[in-house]
Amino acid sequence: MAQSKNTFLNFFSGRKLIIGVPYVWFISLAAIPLLIVLKISLSTMETASVSNMVDWSKGWPSLTLNFSSYQFIASDALYVKTYLSSIKYALITTIICLAIGYPFAYFMARAPKHIQPTLLMLIMLPFWTSFLLRIYAWKTLLVNNGIINNALISLGVMSEPIAMMNTPFSLTIGMVYSYLPFMILPLYANLSKLDIRYLEAAADLGTSPLKTFWLVTVPLSKAGIIAGSMLVFIPSIGEYVIPELLGGSNTLMIGRVLWDEFFSNNDWPMASAVAIVMILLILVPMALLNKYQSDQASDKAGA
Amino acid sequence: MATASKPQTGMKSAEKEELLRIEGISKIYDGTVKAVDDVSLTVYKGEIFGLLGGSGCGKSTLLRMLAGFEAPTKGKIYLAEQDITNLPAYQRPINMMFQSYALFPHLSVWENIAFGLKRDGMPKDQIAERVEKMLGLVQLTKFAPRKPHQLSGGQQQRVALARSLAKRPQLLLLDEPLGALDKKLRETTQLELVNIIEQVGVTCVLVTHDQEEAMTMASRIAVMSEGYFLQVGDPDTVYEMPNSRKVADFIGNVNMFEGVIEEDEPDHVTVRSLECIHYVGHGISGHAGMQVGVALRPEKVMLSKRKPKGDYNWAEGEVIEIVYFGAHTTYHLKLASGMVLKAQEINSTRDLSCGLTWGDKAYAHWSNEAMVVLTQ
Repeated sequence: MAQSKNTFLNFFSGRKLIIGVPYVWFISLAAIPLLIVLKISLSTMETASVSNMVDWSKGWPSLTLNFSSYQFIASDALYVKTYLSSIKYALITTIICLAIGYPFAYFMARAPKHIQPTLLMLIMLPFWTSFLLRIYAWKTLLVNNGIINNALISLGVMSEPIAMMNTPFSLTIGMVYSYLPFMILPLYANLSKLDIRYLEAAADLGTSPLKTFWLVTVPLSKAGIIAGSMLVFIPSIGEYVIPELLGGSNTLMIGRVLWDEFFSNNDWPMASAVAIVMILLILVPMALLNKYQSDQASDKAGA
Repeated sequence: MATASKPQTGMKSAEKEELLRIEGISKIYDGTVKAVDDVSLTVYKGEIFGLLGGSGCGKSTLLRMLAGFEAPTKGKIYLAEQDITNLPAYQRPINMMFQSYALFPHLSVWENIAFGLKRDGMPKDQIAERVEKMLGLVQLTKFAPRKPHQLSGGQQQRVALARSLAKRPQLLLLDEPLGALDKKLRETTQLELVNIIEQVGVTCVLVTHDQEEAMTMASRIAVMSEGYFLQVGDPDTVYEMPNSRKVADFIGNVNMFEGVIEEDEPDHVTVRSLECIHYVGHGISGHAGMQVGVALRPEKVMLSKRKPKGDYNWAEGEVIEIVYFGAHTTYHLKLASGMVLKAQEINSTRDLSCGLTWGDKAYAHWSNEAMVVLTQ
């Protein structure tokens, strides 16, 4: 008895309690809601509610699973097309962010130490204004009678405005603009830790600066590249606000489909199924990242 | 501290072939801070040249200028009669073994060693052959597929050496090559390193703050302070005949007497200091009445309980400290003037030979040729 009481006390004190807190957090705020969404995606429209999760009509708890929403997603080419288009835009955004963000982060990391905090501040400065406001501001720049078109016409560069709004172009600009800091920050954190002696060693062994960049700097910043790309790619797939405001009807993004299913069609099972498939799509790159990181860890541990 | 014999020291000057010549080189940071101040130096083929000095003396800056990582503010560097002052690091036939090695963490041991060879566009089979040879040289053949972090400190050091030797550089730069190793490992590695360097026959410039390392490895050393050379010479010359108080103080332990020359004869000088009268058995370039320092190494001081004969080269004091090192013991003798004289006695028998203990009165004495008169 005394023994078991002791164990009970031990559980609520010290180590287990501290480890327990994040578990409780994760289970109650991530795992359970996710299971609810999963269950709703497997219900029919009539039974789709939180109070109706488990069927008690037979006297014991049972689950009735209905795969019609998933069947519909698989059968309707529009969904597949939208998923592919979401991945395409997310990939384009990630690649452009990497292309712009890498040199950005590199020069930040190489800048004199005393101005680095200022540069970092400038990267984060846009966050001080509402996200929605900033996206809306792009609208005023890009519309047919917006600042850019008016300026170009008055300068005589062209006579007709270019249609930039509601095109893949405006969508991509908005996405890259919004997610660029999430690429720069992990890359900067990684590159600022890069030991300059590796670059000197490469030069010493006869490597030109450009070659050194590809052979030493890029491989050594792989972890930063992966982290930055994930931080841009994952939220880009499900992005709703930017396609809604800048993308127009020509640009298919899964976030908008999700919105329509929920609020226009009121089809919760369908919306949940769309969300679950999106999570699976995101899980694939996440799993790859995890594998890479654990490979690195075991590489470091194993002698 | 005594130095082992070096094969290169026997070289006659006529056989010496110049490899590296530094002419009046300076490095000034921010317009005022002189890291290296008008240094000139010639290094001969096959030599291991040691740059010795405390931190901030400019030795690393000088080495970095040789490697091409820093541009000199003034002066010229010639390698085999060719001006390389403005040649970028990646075009110099010079390789460096970095302090704490800078092995590429993302590449295996094999790839690290092959790195420089690949840049030269060497055919694949030749690269493989050369890498295998290098791995054999440093006895790491079976570690080829490992990553640097999977190796011990001593193994990493050998990979770094193999990498810097792989391209057969004309000049090898060693930046504190043993700094990251523990004391026991250093002693064995030191000799191993010299053996490998001699086997390859490459000319070396070695930078170190550790005088023992410089003296055992280098055939010639330069003692550096505040950006310039205090003295350049064989390790034994620098140790036994330091040219200034600074050098005597930096290399090894020293008892420094301050005195005035009384007699200045061609075959001897006497110097009167507060502690005693020194009789130096050779002439010096000075004059009577001149203020000089008399440097006396602790291992050249003998101790006895009886008063020595004669009027010169002895002093009386009280034992205030006994520091036991195993192989030898250092006695600290407080003299009447307040100066603490260090005397190092070899423990040639297992009962500690002198029989002196704390608080004992003792006499320290030394021979006519034990000390060096320093005018600077």
